[in-house]
Amino acid sequence: MNCSNKKEEPAVYQRVVLKNAAPYRYLKVCLVLEDDSTRLSAVDLKHFIITGLRNLHGEVGAALPFDLLKYDENTLTALLRVYSRGLVKLWSSLTLLGSYQNQACAFRVLQVSPFLLALSGNSRELQLD
Amino acid sequence: MVRVKSRYLLCEIGGSDRSSLLLLDDRAVAVAVKAAVARTHGDYGAALCSIRFSVKYLNTHTGMVLLRFPKSCYRLLWSALPFITNIETHRKNVPCFLNCVHVGGTIRTCQKFLIKYNQQQLHRMLPECEKEEEKQQIREAILSCSLIPETFEDELESDDDDITQRSERWRPQFS
Repeated sequence: MNCSNKKEEPAVYQRVVLKNAAPYRYLKVCLVLEDDSTRLSAVDLKHFIITGLRNLHGEVGAALPFDLLKYDENTLTALLRVYSRGLVKLWSSLTLLGSYQNQACAFRVLQVSPFLLALSGNSRELQLD
Repeated sequence: MVRVKSRYLLCEIGGSDRSSLLLLDDRAVAVAVKAAVARTHGDYGAALCSIRFSVKYLNTHTGMVLLRFPKSCYRLLWSALPFITNIETHRKNVPCFLNCVHVGGTIRTCQKFLIKYNQQQLHRMLPECEKEEEKQQIREAILSCSLIPETFEDELESDDDDITQRSERWRPQFS
């Protein structure tokens, strides 16, 4: 390569912007039941969410892969992980899930973030002493 | 925002014998498609299907059906068609499958494709015929295939009359 023949080229800067590029979305949800003393196991909760997906989005929705990362049985709070393209299906079926074993229930979605670290803190529940 | 656009899916019903296909009617096919969409895509799919879905044309002799879907969601509803395994009429259950042959934006483009497709099927049938009069009938049918607006119904009828007598040999490629 003859470097002396080449004229000087100015340095080229390139900016790459990726929007919504995170592969997963993490949801922190809380299940509120009519009867406060009912307890669900982790398997029960996952089965319940899959039933909700099947009702709203059919067999294709029920096949959506999502994970239950953390679950607290006493407060019924769970941490879900889903692929970014499946977030709308999962969130809409959580919204429309209305009853668990003949009692009224509701899923409260507390936090949604593409980063798991962001779910560790919540300014709504921050206590400044 | 000028006009409402739809997609027309031309599908071929296959997989069962000709006599049971004759029992089908368009309402039975519509019910089967709606049930398959509700099973595969749930309430969301069933709602999408109720907007502008209808069975526009059904030919039980050749097994062609023309379905109309809205343009915005036709791919989602198309993906549910392979899950149809049987169509239920008032008397019996006909096992079959739907095979999409053409997607068109208007009924007229689907009509043009259907004429060419039927002509190709007739060409395939010609070597399989044994009797000379049948061959002659098929040759006449092929020559008379054309798109003339007011006699379009007659053209399709003339193809069908020749074919019904040879119903067991209509699909040579599946034999």
